[in-house]
Amino acid sequence: MLLALLLAPFLLLLLYFIVRPKPVTIPIKNRHVFITGGSSGIGLALAHKAVSEGARVSILARSLPKLEEAQKSIRLAHGVDVAIFAADVRDYDAVQRAVNDAGPIDVLVVNQGVFVPQALEKQGLDEIKFMIDVNLMGSFHVIKAALPSMKSRKDRRQPASIALVSSQAGQVGIYGYSAYSASKFGLRGLAEALQQEVISDNIYISLIFPPDTETPAFEEERKIRPELTDIITSSGGLLKADEVASKTLDGIKAGNFSIPLNLEGRMLTIATAGVSPQSSFLMAFLEVALASLARIVSLFFLWSAYRSVAKWHFQKKGA
Amino acid sequence: MLLLILLPLLVLTLYLIVRPRPVIIPIKDSHVFITGGSSGIGLALAHQAAFEGARVSLLARSLKKLEEAKESIRISSGVEVSIFAADVRDFDAVQKAVKNAGPIDVLVVNQGIFVPQELEKQELDEIKFMIDVNLMGSFNVIKAALPLMKERKDRGPNSIALMSSQAGQVGIYGYTAYSASKFGLRGLAEALQQEVISDNIHVSLIYPPDTDTPGFEQENKTRPELTKILAASSGSMKADKVAKIALKGIRSGTFIVPCNLEGHALAIATAGLSPQRSFLMASVEVLCIGFLRIVALYFQWNWYKDIEKWHEMKKVSEN
Repeated sequence: MLLALLLAPFLLLLLYFIVRPKPVTIPIKNRHVFITGGSSGIGLALAHKAVSEGARVSILARSLPKLEEAQKSIRLAHGVDVAIFAADVRDYDAVQRAVNDAGPIDVLVVNQGVFVPQALEKQGLDEIKFMIDVNLMGSFHVIKAALPSMKSRKDRRQPASIALVSSQAGQVGIYGYSAYSASKFGLRGLAEALQQEVISDNIYISLIFPPDTETPAFEEERKIRPELTDIITSSGGLLKADEVASKTLDGIKAGNFSIPLNLEGRMLTIATAGVSPQSSFLMAFLEVALASLARIVSLFFLWSAYRSVAKWHFQKKGA
Repeated sequence: MLLLILLPLLVLTLYLIVRPRPVIIPIKDSHVFITGGSSGIGLALAHQAAFEGARVSLLARSLKKLEEAKESIRISSGVEVSIFAADVRDFDAVQKAVKNAGPIDVLVVNQGIFVPQELEKQELDEIKFMIDVNLMGSFNVIKAALPLMKERKDRGPNSIALMSSQAGQVGIYGYTAYSASKFGLRGLAEALQQEVISDNIHVSLIYPPDTDTPGFEQENKTRPELTKILAASSGSMKADKVAKIALKGIRSGTFIVPCNLEGHALAIATAGLSPQRSFLMASVEVLCIGFLRIVALYFQWNWYKDIEKWHEMKKVSEN
């Protein structure tokens, strides 16, 4: 205990010097924020929040009617017009056209996502492909389309951001989420590598890890969720979309690589810190100091999850 | 002093809570089905499994390479392996092969493509290739084999092992698509283990470093210079050593199977919410993870310095 207290200031000092990328502040006001999957749910909430903070906002989604509704709701709430672009992220050419029409992007929010929870044994391959194509390959499309103009932007002294909306299912794989977790874990591999590739262009990558969030899509998901998925994920918490949007924008503005949105999320993020970059030396200190506890908590979580799985199967056999 | 009481208490607690419980999966006389089995790590695994008395089936694209592989195993261990030509991207072909091969005890999902390149420069079809083969292909293989594995008469422990990579533990420059596909395997695996534990099927992820294979020789030719510089921090291994360690890990149902010393450190740092059956390993994880987070941050500091230096040198040479 005494040793820990003595070493703490040295650790803090060490971390202060070694955390990379270096801390940064990414302004939102008067900058161009481009949000995919921006016509509903978390994307729409982000659009509202960004507009309220003075950003110029563009939203991309598949359905033109939903985009127009979204545009109207923002106009009503804030008196501001957002630009709308109808495209399916699986169609690279359409995405590229939209990105070119939208103009140079300062903050790219790759937020589109579909989730169909189901045990792999029962899930159709087309559903699996759907999630991989939209959530993962679609993200590659969006980033590839936007990256050239982000890299060659005129004002390179102002930091830009590429933020990817992941999920707590992108930090831990749970019963029923083999395809969804695969697509969301994939975003992290993308992000860790991408940050090293774009740091020299003053672009910062963020991964956002929302828990279950009250959105139309989540309502749909709940209807078909396997019972065990419900039981095991109940510990992650439930948030409102605008809460998610607020905390997300705060994290993007602080240039944080990992952005958790509630207490459980913060614990999950510390547990899964791995080799992810960390630009805040204080957060790095917390990660180091709490890593052991986080792993113990994780092992308890797994113990509970596997007990739930065993109990559920036992009850099924009984019936 | 306090440690003398806490340490045994920790170890005892972990002994009681680690899930899933330890298991031993026999290799001798079991049917081992290896995708990407005609060369590299897959072929080395086939040799090793045949040597340990398993019945081996190989799946790969090229019939010619499969026949060469079959011949090499016949020569070295006198064992006949079954060969099946199929592209893992073609579910129907995979399903036919799996049905012809017969019930599988140890499924080794080992096929993999790696084309390192900066995302900015990489062609979309190369990205799609890696996601399709490494990630979607793995779903195809598992979906094809799972029904028979779940319905098997002999309910002894079975294994589904997925070949990942150290690039599936940390994303580095040049590996956006490859790391995305390999990180995705972990999301798949964590969820899948919860879904198949009740069928006495045990999931393993193998994490080799750079390995001496024809695939790696190809990759090295096109590797970006900066990727080479950053990847040099981990060593390289021979394929047969990787195969031995992989089979050992599969046999003990270990979820995360590292292959060298750096790999062990990486595995502990990225333990996250992965299951851990060994209470001793769990204790090591809890005790070392804080320190390893410091090491991980130090590595990132080093890498970002290398990246900065490289870009500066490029600028100087361009002027």
